[in-house]
Amino acid sequence: MVLPYVILTVLLFVFLLGSNLFNSFTDKNGNLTLQNYIDNFTDPVVGRTLLNTIVWVVGSVSGQLLLGLFVALLLNESTKGQIIFRSIILILPWAVLDIVAGVMWKWMYNDMYGVLNDVLVKMHIIRDYIPWLATENMAMLSVIIANIWKGFCLSGMFFLAGLQTIPIDLYEAAEIDGANSFKRFWKITIPQLKPVIMTTLMLTTIWTINYFPLIYTMTGGGPGYGTETIVTYIYKLGFKFMEFNKAASLSNVLFVIIFFIAFLFLRSIAREEAR
Amino acid sequence: MTRSQKRKLKKTITYILLILISVVIAFPFLWLVLTALKTYPDIYAYPIKYFIFEPTSEHFEKISSMNFWSYFKNSVIVGSGTMFFSILIGLFPAYAFARYEFKWKRTLLTGVLIFQMFPQVVFLLPIFKALNATGLINTYTGLILSYLPFTTPISIVFMRTFFLSIPKSLEEAARIDGCSFGQAFRKVILPITLPGIAAVGVYAFLFSWSELLYSMSILTSKAKQTIPTFLQLFVGQYQTRWGPLFAGSILATLPPLIIFMILQKFFIAGLVSGSVKE
Repeated sequence: MVLPYVILTVLLFVFLLGSNLFNSFTDKNGNLTLQNYIDNFTDPVVGRTLLNTIVWVVGSVSGQLLLGLFVALLLNESTKGQIIFRSIILILPWAVLDIVAGVMWKWMYNDMYGVLNDVLVKMHIIRDYIPWLATENMAMLSVIIANIWKGFCLSGMFFLAGLQTIPIDLYEAAEIDGANSFKRFWKITIPQLKPVIMTTLMLTTIWTINYFPLIYTMTGGGPGYGTETIVTYIYKLGFKFMEFNKAASLSNVLFVIIFFIAFLFLRSIAREEAR
Repeated sequence: MTRSQKRKLKKTITYILLILISVVIAFPFLWLVLTALKTYPDIYAYPIKYFIFEPTSEHFEKISSMNFWSYFKNSVIVGSGTMFFSILIGLFPAYAFARYEFKWKRTLLTGVLIFQMFPQVVFLLPIFKALNATGLINTYTGLILSYLPFTTPISIVFMRTFFLSIPKSLEEAARIDGCSFGQAFRKVILPITLPGIAAVGVYAFLFSWSELLYSMSILTSKAKQTIPTFLQLFVGQYQTRWGPLFAGSILATLPPLIIFMILQKFFIAGLVSGSVKE
């Protein structure tokens, strides 16, 4: 029963990857060439997008995991009304369409009519209006904040489920031994949760590298190349500048990077399990 | 402080924090809803009008007159197709992965997830070209086909965990009572796993519901495009028409929101067992 599926998947995979590989090694007339790769490695924009991608991934993933863990710990403590809180905190941002999340945040960040500046000034957190999407660094911070809002719920769900599998007598024993809650958190919760944390870290990292719609709708990669990540640049190369072959070669480079990251994670997870 | 007082204090702090976080998380969406109900002078009012304004339905009327419901219908068609085929294609491999031992089982299971590792944008070009060559460009079928590589892996992994949760003895009992394999599958296993299968279906449906990149590239004629492409129309380089954009956004978000909330138990179970326990 698996066989037809496997054959189909393998064929599709070979076809998709193969056609991408072929495109990346040919020029517009179909002649074999390495020029696309050379172009990409010498293109200063590619270097910039690589740097942006690292900032985007590190910022988003750490934010999502920390917020997710915090929310999961709180939800795990709550007994009454957990479904209501879960619906608002973990389900709402998840259910919002990517493009809707993008335009929603864009409107809140609006430097004249945006509600964010108004609220922050009224709460005396900032003194002057911030041009959120107008400068390169602020724009990057802004899209990361929006992405944390959109994506932390998945980490929250994983962690919540992970927390619920920790046997309660571990905590009771520690409490009898006189460990305070801070110590219990570091000595029991974190080690017990480690496998879940590792898997979540891997999945969110890969998803964030590949996540495209939010940046596309909020800034389109701008201002300048301020928020251009590798995937938005691949899209631009392929569908705006019509440089299919260069886009294909950059996709392959990206795939190798992602594959390598996944490999590292899977190896360390496997090692953890073997211990 | 006694222990019970300490407990009580901890509970109170937990709930205060939860309420605070809920407000912060829900605020962006609440603000979107409020904006969609304002007239343009109120949207661009300064100082900002928070809760006191004359609500209007003009933006909802505007999108209705712009054929929003036709885009909605297209989204439903593509979503249902994606859902149906993701379940159909995933069902039997998922069952096999749950029940049988065979060579390279683990490798294959990991391999199934490899599609998750690729950015969707990487496959857009080859898929676009293949669809173009087969004449499937600008058809619902073409778009559904291009979604399947991304949805079926998840549907296999999810459904496998639901099959795993059924005791094998239940199935054997049905076989002893004289059911054929097909009957046992239909009458015993399917009813129990139905919630799980439903969750997988909804996942596939919503994947296509919110997907923008492929739908705007593959469906080129206006009459066939889906909601995300429709919403994209209001986002200009220099000017964005917030009113109708948000009215459409609300209508587009409500179906997934309601379905997610009803099925959240199954989603969380499926997601977690699918991805966390491998």
